[in-house]
Amino acid sequence: MKPPNKANTAGIGRNWAPPVIWFGPAVLLLLAVTLYPTAVVIWLSLSRTRYYDVIGWAGLGNYASVLTSTPFWDLTFNSLVYLTGSLAIVLPLGLFCALALQTMKRGASSLRVLLLLPWTLSMAVVGCFWLWLLNPSYGPISYGMKSVGLTPGLMLGDPGVALLLLIVVTAWWSFPYVMVMMSAALQGVPGELYEAIEIDGGGFWSRLRHVVWPHIDTTLGSTALALSIMYLTLITLILVLTGGGPLGTTSTWSFEVFVDAFRSIDISPSAVISIVVLIVNLLLGLAYLRLTGRVSG
Amino acid sequence: MRTTPAERLISRLTITALTLVVVGPIAWALVTSLKTEANVITFPPSLLPSPATLASYVAVFREQNFSVELFNSVLYAIASIALTLAVSVPAGYAASRMTFPAKRAVMLLILATSMIPGVALLTPTYFVLDAIGCLNNPVAIIVLQAARLVPQTIWFMQNFVNAVPVGLDEATQVDGATRWQTFTRLILPLIKPGIAAAAVLGVITTWNDYITVAAFAPDIARRTLQVALVNQVFDTIGITWSYVMAFAIVSSIPIVALFLVAQRWFIAGLTAGAVKG
Repeated sequence: MKPPNKANTAGIGRNWAPPVIWFGPAVLLLLAVTLYPTAVVIWLSLSRTRYYDVIGWAGLGNYASVLTSTPFWDLTFNSLVYLTGSLAIVLPLGLFCALALQTMKRGASSLRVLLLLPWTLSMAVVGCFWLWLLNPSYGPISYGMKSVGLTPGLMLGDPGVALLLLIVVTAWWSFPYVMVMMSAALQGVPGELYEAIEIDGGGFWSRLRHVVWPHIDTTLGSTALALSIMYLTLITLILVLTGGGPLGTTSTWSFEVFVDAFRSIDISPSAVISIVVLIVNLLLGLAYLRLTGRVSG
Repeated sequence: MRTTPAERLISRLTITALTLVVVGPIAWALVTSLKTEANVITFPPSLLPSPATLASYVAVFREQNFSVELFNSVLYAIASIALTLAVSVPAGYAASRMTFPAKRAVMLLILATSMIPGVALLTPTYFVLDAIGCLNNPVAIIVLQAARLVPQTIWFMQNFVNAVPVGLDEATQVDGATRWQTFTRLILPLIKPGIAAAAVLGVITTWNDYITVAAFAPDIARRTLQVALVNQVFDTIGITWSYVMAFAIVSSIPIVALFLVAQRWFIAGLTAGAVKG
């Protein structure tokens, strides 16, 4: 009675029109807004530029000069210290928080919501809160340090501690993400397993190692990768807290790209750093896909 | 899960300590926002505002650009999630239900774009927008924000549609429904939770964004609350901390309220990707 429907279900494999209609807008958007600029940044990284004007072909010349410059390796060092430092705090903190919440009989879910609050705040807001907390003259933290006999110094203005403080603030903001991921993963641990090991006389660490760990290691890994991507591309928090300073000690690859985009300089070196960020992200993203088994097509 | 008393004690202490660490900075911001300008810079810092005043909040609402900034924040957040859903829900449905020769290529393209970080596109996007005269264009901002959300949202929708048995589709089509009718009448109502999760996550992401707007629409009439907030911090001469804290809190209220109302979906959206299952 309704032949078009029959054609619709039977003929999908051969008919091009339906997929174009269903996928078209999304694909068009991604081609225009994501893939086209990606091609442009690759082209820019291979060009000679004067400010925002392309004045010639440079081949791999920009890469050679950027990758052999000291500032680039300073940025690389900062990026990696920031990444590993933040992960080293948030992963154990988030995991133990999730484990502790699991032992609570009542109130765990509302506490989880409360603890998740920092993650919902914008980096701009988190940056402002902490900029004020860490204010060397009027902030409560420097007051606390003074009252126990420590010299707070310049806090975020001190080249020796600025990166560490940036890591602490990042951890405050992002550990709830780990907590939520780990709480979700812990729900996959069958209850009988705990009882079995309890009969065997296992303590906390052996339970963590033998019962819990096999069920959460993949999620912990994928969470670490997702956070790595976020830390490496994060700009706003650094901008508000330190502006990349003092003396460039908190400037990362991504922060440099952001600053360069609005500084009156040639954009090709910053295009090279963009490509570096892009490649590192692709590698982390591929590792993430492997780990989560998220394959499409 | 059974636990020893010692473990319960340690758990309680951990949770209490973390709660204080989480609540402390937020509470300090609240306290500061209620202080007078003079009270903010007393030393030692006073734990409670004396006297407490709403003057900073009044000043925030009276700021001449506040309503424009609020409007832009709302506009960008709502419009970009609407655009995201409009293109992603059909694509997610098709990804789940259709097979066609180039499907693998299309899915790979979507996947690849999800791994391209926005920061790598800052320079070229500025370059392109400048060339076509679209800097400070609100539509450009909405399209950019939507494009960032689309890959994840398609994948999310595909998973939700996958959870609907294909038999249901076939049954409605036997009854004479077209594919579009199956999509709107059967699938859409069933994947509502997924749409809600994607929407909550997307609105929060766009609302909280600073970089996109600051980079491509820095014009005073195009700014969002986030951009205005950061600009105040840079304005080091005139900075009043009680005002900055009040502004930060006001700019967070809509998002925190949305989070509290829709936290179930927010958490579902967060955990959807990373937990293997």
